[in-house]
Order: sequence, then structure tokens, then C-alpha cells
Amino acid sequence: MAKTSILGLYEDPEDGAKAMDALHAVGMDPNDFDVLTGTPYPEGAFGEHVPQHRLFRFPVFGAMVGFTLAILFTAGTQLAWPIVTGGKPILAIPAMLIITYELTMLSAVIMTVIGILFESRLPNFAPGAYDTRITEGYVGVVVSVDEGRESEFEEILNTAGAMETKRA
Amino acid sequence: MASRITAAAHDDRPTFQEAAVDIVNAPSTALSSTTARWFLILGAMFVLGVVGFVLKIVDAGMDDRASWGYYVAMVSFLLSTAAGAPMLSIAPVLAKANWIRPVMRISQLFSAIGVLTAIMSIPLIFLLPPLVEDEVRRRSIWFGSPAYFPHMWDTIAIFGLVFIGLALLWSSSLPDLAAIRENGGGRRQKWARRLAPGFIGTWGQWKALKMRMGVLSAFYFLFLVFTHVLFASDYIHALVPGYKDAIFPMYHALTSLQAGVASVILATYFFWKYGGFDRYIGINQMWNLAKLQFALSLLWFYFFFSAWIVFWYSRTPQNEKVIELFDHGPYMWAFLGTLFFSFIIPMWTLMWNFIRVSMRGPTILAVVIIFGTLLDRVRLTVGPWSIEDINEKFLTEIPETVWPDLWDIFMFIGMFGGAAFLFLLVTRLVPAVSLWEIQQSRLISKPAMYMRGEVEIVGKPD
Amino acid sequence: MRQGRQLDEIRINKELLNGALETPAWWKWAVLILFTIVISGFVVFGIQTNKGLGVTGLSRPVFWGAYITTFVFWVGISHAGIMISAILRLTQAEWRRPVTRAAELLTVFSLLTALSFPVIHAGRPWRIIYWIFPYDFARGLWPNVRSPLVWDPAAIGTYLTGSTLFLYVALLPDLGVLRDRTTGWKHAMYGALSLGWRGNPRQWRLQTVAGVLLSALMLPIFVSVHSIVSWDFAVTPGVEGWNSTIFAPYFVIGAVHSGVSAVVTMMALMRWLWKWDNFIRPEHFDALARLLIVVAVAWFGFTIVEILFSLYTLEGPELAFRDMQIFQWPWAGLFVVFLLTGFFIPVTMWLFKGVRNSIALMFWTSILVNIGMWLERFLIVVPALARKQPFVYTWGSYQPSIVEFAMMAWSFAFVSMNMLLFARFFPLIPLFESKEAMIFTTEMKIGRTTIPAVLREQE
Repeated sequence: MAKTSILGLYEDPEDGAKAMDALHAVGMDPNDFDVLTGTPYPEGAFGEHVPQHRLFRFPVFGAMVGFTLAILFTAGTQLAWPIVTGGKPILAIPAMLIITYELTMLSAVIMTVIGILFESRLPNFAPGAYDTRITEGYVGVVVSVDEGRESEFEEILNTAGAMETKRA
Repeated sequence: MASRITAAAHDDRPTFQEAAVDIVNAPSTALSSTTARWFLILGAMFVLGVVGFVLKIVDAGMDDRASWGYYVAMVSFLLSTAAGAPMLSIAPVLAKANWIRPVMRISQLFSAIGVLTAIMSIPLIFLLPPLVEDEVRRRSIWFGSPAYFPHMWDTIAIFGLVFIGLALLWSSSLPDLAAIRENGGGRRQKWARRLAPGFIGTWGQWKALKMRMGVLSAFYFLFLVFTHVLFASDYIHALVPGYKDAIFPMYHALTSLQAGVASVILATYFFWKYGGFDRYIGINQMWNLAKLQFALSLLWFYFFFSAWIVFWYSRTPQNEKVIELFDHGPYMWAFLGTLFFSFIIPMWTLMWNFIRVSMRGPTILAVVIIFGTLLDRVRLTVGPWSIEDINEKFLTEIPETVWPDLWDIFMFIGMFGGAAFLFLLVTRLVPAVSLWEIQQSRLISKPAMYMRGEVEIVGKPD
Repeated sequence: MRQGRQLDEIRINKELLNGALETPAWWKWAVLILFTIVISGFVVFGIQTNKGLGVTGLSRPVFWGAYITTFVFWVGISHAGIMISAILRLTQAEWRRPVTRAAELLTVFSLLTALSFPVIHAGRPWRIIYWIFPYDFARGLWPNVRSPLVWDPAAIGTYLTGSTLFLYVALLPDLGVLRDRTTGWKHAMYGALSLGWRGNPRQWRLQTVAGVLLSALMLPIFVSVHSIVSWDFAVTPGVEGWNSTIFAPYFVIGAVHSGVSAVVTMMALMRWLWKWDNFIRPEHFDALARLLIVVAVAWFGFTIVEILFSLYTLEGPELAFRDMQIFQWPWAGLFVVFLLTGFFIPVTMWLFKGVRNSIALMFWTSILVNIGMWLERFLIVVPALARKQPFVYTWGSYQPSIVEFAMMAWSFAFVSMNMLLFARFFPLIPLFESKEAMIFTTEMKIGRTTIPAVLREQE
């Protein structure tokens, strides 16, 4: 069944928390409603579902990839045209270590950023109901409901003190 | 934005009164049969160490430098563990970290081991050769100074450090000793009356206490750096002909912080598990200590590599000899041990959150790091102390590996026994967790509800 | 004492976006002047490329001069970003909030500027690009992995990429605000850049985690970058005063010293130019000054140790070099100025609370520090080379030419202009950090006194 996104806009964050309480009370799946704020609040301030993430896998994967590529690059290039410089061996481990370290960290950082965007579910250019006043301090409670039940949930959001509701 | 903080959330922390009873009357301060047994064992270990020392003098005399390398390593090890530990009561306080409060006293207690360090440093005065021998002056940071300057200044540095550490411990213990003076009993109360006669907690006394601790902390830090610079330069660096390593004293100081943190982690676990302080010491303390430990382990490699790359890159015969002496020559086993125990193992384990956020994980790593530091001190001291001619311009011959003999092993046992003995002894009087720090922590932090979420409000007084 | 005022989000948006959504009157003139200097710099570079390096003061034996000094200087300034952003984030220092983005931005632009200088210094830059791009150049040679000059681009490139990505990730929430406050092409631009940011708990949580994780990853890079730059000098056995093991931490602590001072300079300018008195307050300068005292004292300690151990071996060439560097004109004069401006004057002043809370005095002392720190690098690079061989057939010491001064001016103008251009489109002070501060800072009553307090989430 198709879903509609409904946004309730609240001036007072406490009203937003009450709306979240009401949605919990009617047995809504926590993945179907969310709170939108223009500023980070302490975790759990709205009684929201605390999101789990697996971000830490990304830098580990990135580091492994970076390390492997760096070893191949530093060793491969020096073996491709071996010239002794400064009396050092062709595969000079300390020197290779430095470049390997940098490329490992670079790869870890790049994968971390990719992971951050992925776990944040970005980019998302079709985000559903939204209001620009959220970034001016208003709190938005957005709920994804089955078609036909929009009025029921608009009533819940209005009862909690929404100054406006809108659908997307 | 109006405050959304509602009234206090459920607070299951001990109250002021409970904390006072817990800490003043902590089981770890009572002389139970278990504790008495431990005192006997540790005392016996220390006596064994003294026997080893005496027999070493009888066997090798004081002139055979090579025989005393392991003894110097012991003093270096004590300077690196026990002397580095009190820094934990200094540095995080500057960052206004609240988590350190239950652990501050534990770190300061290590100052008591300074007494052993000071005593053990006295024979070094006789063991270290003078700067001028047979009219040849060896290179040192003292340049043209009198021949016995290193002996004098290093002793002043070590004794000064120990004194300041003990003063810091006494200053921080004053309020708790006053509590014991009023509410304790027996010998503890008698000692508390002697050590904290007039402290009654007036505004002026608290202010003076904080100022005194601030000044002593600053002095302790300066003296720690000073002592490590002198010790590393005179007892190690200057004995290797042609060795020029500006970062070496800093390396010695930095690794002492690493080992100091490890020592505090070990002691923290001990007091959490067996000391009855599990309501005050917990995961938060261990987690933050583990983060610090991780950073310091990475810094070990940084300081090591910063020197090593310069020596390796130049490929001069002199630099290659230095690398051989310290790393891949007669003490390669110690070097590899240090590399693994002080860096590779801590790095690959402490990088995982699930290990850092546990009580046992950082503790096991602390033992590993302390062992790594011991091996590091062995590799850094035994080699230089076994060089035949320390007055040459350049190192020409790498000495053979010197293995510890039976007297060295006795002295190692005695060192560990003596250090633990002193540590345990001081906890009979001074509570291992600072009562006034816990109470201040309770005053300036409290759990609260922010709308539907649980938060902690932490005060940040100037 | 907390000096901050409680402001609502609308007020914060209005004040902090006054640069991005409106153009201050002075902005156009400032950018025009800086742009003129930048263009002049490019012209001078063109002249140098055409005429050759003879237009500079570089000559046997001083082949590294003002360009390399300025390269090291800008790498040092770049250390501000991670120091402020990462370390203070990991230690949860509240006072970092207004400064983080500007510091990260300074890092990015100073690294770009730093990277330009080896290219400028080379004289024939098309000959050295192969150091940077690892492809099989016409001569059939790969970059020499054993050379510190190849380690440099690896480190600086990593740091630059990491800092840029860190800057962008932290910018996402503010891009959402800008998207919501604009229309037309700007709305489309900010909308694309914000990637659809909405501000749900997942996204805010990832912002916090990202800040901590990226800080933890960037910190080792930050330490490694200036260490690797220092090894350009330290691994060279043939130059007196260079072959020292302490160079790596010495350069890093010096970089923190100059970088944080540059942040102080920048904060004062931001407060004055954009009138951000509510956000950049004397308490921030006080905190930075205390940090600078600790860093400066540590740096000075390293300086003493470095000189002490250079004299340690009492070898003739080293003694002669130090004698020249410290006691012979013109180096003696520069040495005195370096010590006074880099340490004695600023640190002595910072010991006084009145100075730490005076924005004007903090501004001028921070500039003094960076004059001193440029001179420090100059005194490391040039006198050592001037004495590289005892018998040189060129008499007379190195002096930067007008071309080199022009390129130095170009570098300052380039960084400043780019900062101003950024500020025209994006907020220099993170909006969400300022809003977060309003929520996470509070007060606590203990008896009759009220102390500032912060909220910490329960873990």
C-alpha cells in the first residue's frame, strides 16, 4: 500500500515530544515516524528510537584497501625501475612505511566520509514532508502512514499542539 | 531557548554520608589476614632483593659496569612507572575532566614508591663513572662542568621529584585524613592526627589546598621532565660514544607517561575488584584511561620512529652502530619485545571500542605495556653499560649480550616486592579513592531529564 | 564566568548568516585589494618562470631560502585546524564551537598555499610534477619512494583531502539552513550541496560520531604531516643544524604554536568584521591564550633541547654554525627578534588576565608569534646552508629578493581572499554548533552560587 508522509510543526519542543509520545502510544512502528530539528538535542530527548549504525566498518575497510594499494604502489614502482639511491635497499621498508601509512589513513578517511553519508541516508533528494521553519527552531514530527489514514494521524499531531500540519 | 531540563532523574550514586563511610572505612584499609599475608610475601620479596644487591656487590664489586646494567634498568623502570603515574592527577585536571576524580588518589599513591626509587638511586652515584677519566672527558650535556655534576644533579632531581610527589600526595589527602582523624580509629586515627592536625575545611583552607596542589602539580611536571632528561642523558646517552639523539630524553619521559598510565590502570582494576570501591570506580574511568593509553602507545612509536628514521636514513657507520646496539644487535630480543608489547599489541587491541569499554581489557593491556616498558629499559641501559671504552669518540665495537644473573633476578623480584609493599602500606592510612574529590564530583554533577532523555549536568567551575 | 547569551535559532541564523546572505560593505573592497595582490603574485611568478630563479636571492650554497621557509610556515599554520577542531572536540571543550570551521578552513587554504611553494621554488615546475603524480614520466622514472621530498606530497595531500572532507561533512547541517533561507539558483546550489539534509536523529547522531571518528583519524595524520616536512631537513647528514632527531616533535609543536596563534588572529578579525560579539567572546581568547602558554612553553623547551644537543658533540662545524646563527650579524639580529616575538613578549603578556581578555592585545600578540615562527624556520633553513661547506667561493649571505617578498605577500593574500570568498557563501561560524551550545550549556546552582554547566548525554 502506498504511504503518505505527514509533517506536524511545533513551536515548543515539549509539544513535539508529546506528539512522539502519542505516536508511540498508538503502536506506530518506530521506523515510521521521526522528529526533525534544526539543532541537535540530547539523544532521546523526544523519546525517539535511537538509531543504530555500522559506521565503524567503513574506516576499517578503507584502511585495508589503502594499505594494500600503498604496498603495491610503493613496492611495484621501485621494482619497476630499480635504482639504488643513498645506499638504501630498493624496497626500503621505513620509507615505504611512511607512504603506506599516509595512503592507509587517506583511504580510511575517504571511506569514513562515504560511510557517514551512507549511514545518514544521504544523498536523499526526495525526503518527504518538510518545512523550512525547522531550521529556525521549530520541531517537525514526520510520520509515514498508509493511504486513507492521514486524517487520523493529523488529528493526533494537532492534539499534541501542532501549529500546522502538511502532507507530502 | 528555555531550559528543558526537568527535575533530577533517578540518582543511584552514593550520598555524601554513604561515601564517607565507604571510603573512610574501606575494606582495603583494614589489616585483614589476607592483607597481612600479602605484606609478608611482598616483604620477603623485598628482602630477597636486598640479599641479591649485597651478593652482587660481593660478587662483582662496584667497578664492573657491565654487571650493573640491569640494576640501572630497574631504577629507570621505577622512574618510568611509579614516577609517571602521578601525572594522571595533573594533566586531566587541566582539561577539567570529571571522570578522573575517582582515580586521582590512586595515581598520587604511586608517589610512595618514590621512596624506593630514591633509595635505589643512591648506589648509582657510585656506579656512574665521572665525566673525566684518565684525563679524557666524555661527551655529555654538562660540557665542561665538574666531573661529578651528573651524580649531584641527577640525585637532586630524583630526590626532588620524590619529595614533591609525596608533598602532592599529602596535600591531596589532607581532607580525607581529617575525616579519618574525626571518624577513624586505632593507629590510623593517630597517624591522621599527626598528618592533618588543623584541617577543618574552612573556606581559606580549601582555597590554600587548591593553590598548593596547583603549584605542586606544576612543579611535579617540571621535575619529572627534568629528572627524565638528566637520567636519560647521563645514565644512558652519555655512555654511548658518538651517540647524539636530541629526542632521547623526551622519549624516556614520554614512555614514562605511557607506563605510568598503565600502572594506574592496573591499580584501578585492583581497587575496583578487591578494594570495595566498585561504586566509585567504573567503566567510565577505565574507558577514558584506555583512550589515553591508546594515544600514548601511538606516541611511543612516533618518538621511536622520529629518532630511528634519522639514524637509518643517514647510513653513516656511527648511526648504524647505534641502531645495532639498541635494536637489531645484542638486544634485539628486548627491542622486538618492546615493539610488540609497547606498541603493536596495544595499538591493535585498544583501537577496538569493545576492548576499551571493559574493565579487564585495558587491565590486561596495562600488564602487557608494563612488561614492554621493562624490556625497553633493559635494551636501553644494559647495552650502554656494557660498553668497554665509553670515552672513545665513536662506538667501534658492539658489546656482547649481557644476560641477567641470579642476583639481578633477585633484585628484580625485590624491586616489584618493595614497590608493591610501599603502595599497599600507604593505602593502610590514605584512602585509595579521594573522599573529597568524590563529594565534589557529586556536588557539581547530577543526573537529570531533558524532556524524555536522560542527561548528566556537569558543572564547570572556573 | 560564562559570557554567552541565550539566543534563539532565528537570531543565530540572522547574525551568523549576515556574511553569506548579505554582502557587507567592506567585503567587496577587501576582496578587490586581495585579488589585486594575488594577480600580481601570478604575474611575478610568470616573470620568474620566464627569467629563471636568478631573480630570487637563491644562489650557491643557499639553494633553499624564503620559498621553502614559507612552505614550512604555511604547513605549520595548517595545524590550527585539527588542533582546534579535533583535539578540542575529543576533549569536549565547549569553547571550541565558534572556531572550528574557520580553523578547518584555514587548514585547507594554508595547505593549498603550502603545496604551491615547492612548485614556485622549483623554477621549472613542469619538471617536478612527477613527484606528485605517480605516473611513468617521459624519462621512465618513478618517484623515489626513499626521498622525503616524495613523502611530503603524500602527507600533505592526505591531510588536505582529509581536512576538506571533514570541513564538508561538518558543513552539511548549515547547508540545510542555507537551502531553507534562499531562493533561486542559490537554493538549488545549497540544495545540491546539502544532499537532502533534514535533521533527523539519525543524521544528528552521525554528525556527532563523524566528528569524533574523523577527529581521531585526522589526529595521527596531523602529527605525521609536519614530522615528514621536518624530515626534509632532519635526515640530511651533511648540513649542520639539520641532522637532529628532535626535529619531528619540534616542528609539530611549533606548528601548533603558530597555527593556534593564526586562529586567534582570525577570530579577532571575524569578530570585528562581521560583528559576531555574541559568538566570539573574550572567554574564547582567554582559553586560547592559556592553551598557547602551555604550547609555547613546550615549544621553547624543545628549542633549548635542540640547541643543547646540537652543541653536544662539540664538533667544529656545528659550533661554527651556531656561532654564526646566534652571534653574527644579520642572523644574530633575526635570532633576537625571533625569540622576542615568538616567545618572550607574547607569553609574558598572556600571563596577565587583562591581556588574555583583550581582543586587540591578543590580535597583536598572535601576529607577533607568527612573525617569530616565520623567522624560526628561516633561521633553521638559511644559515645552515650558508655554512654548508666551510670553503665556499661565493662570499656574502642570502637575502630574499623583491620577487620572493612578492610571492610571500601573494600567499597571505591568497589565503585571506579564499577565506573571504568562502565566507560570502558559507557561514564561518558553524550554526548548528552555536545552536547546540544554547541547548547543551546551562547553569547550576550550588548553595548561593551559580556556576556554568554543560549537559552530557548518558552513555
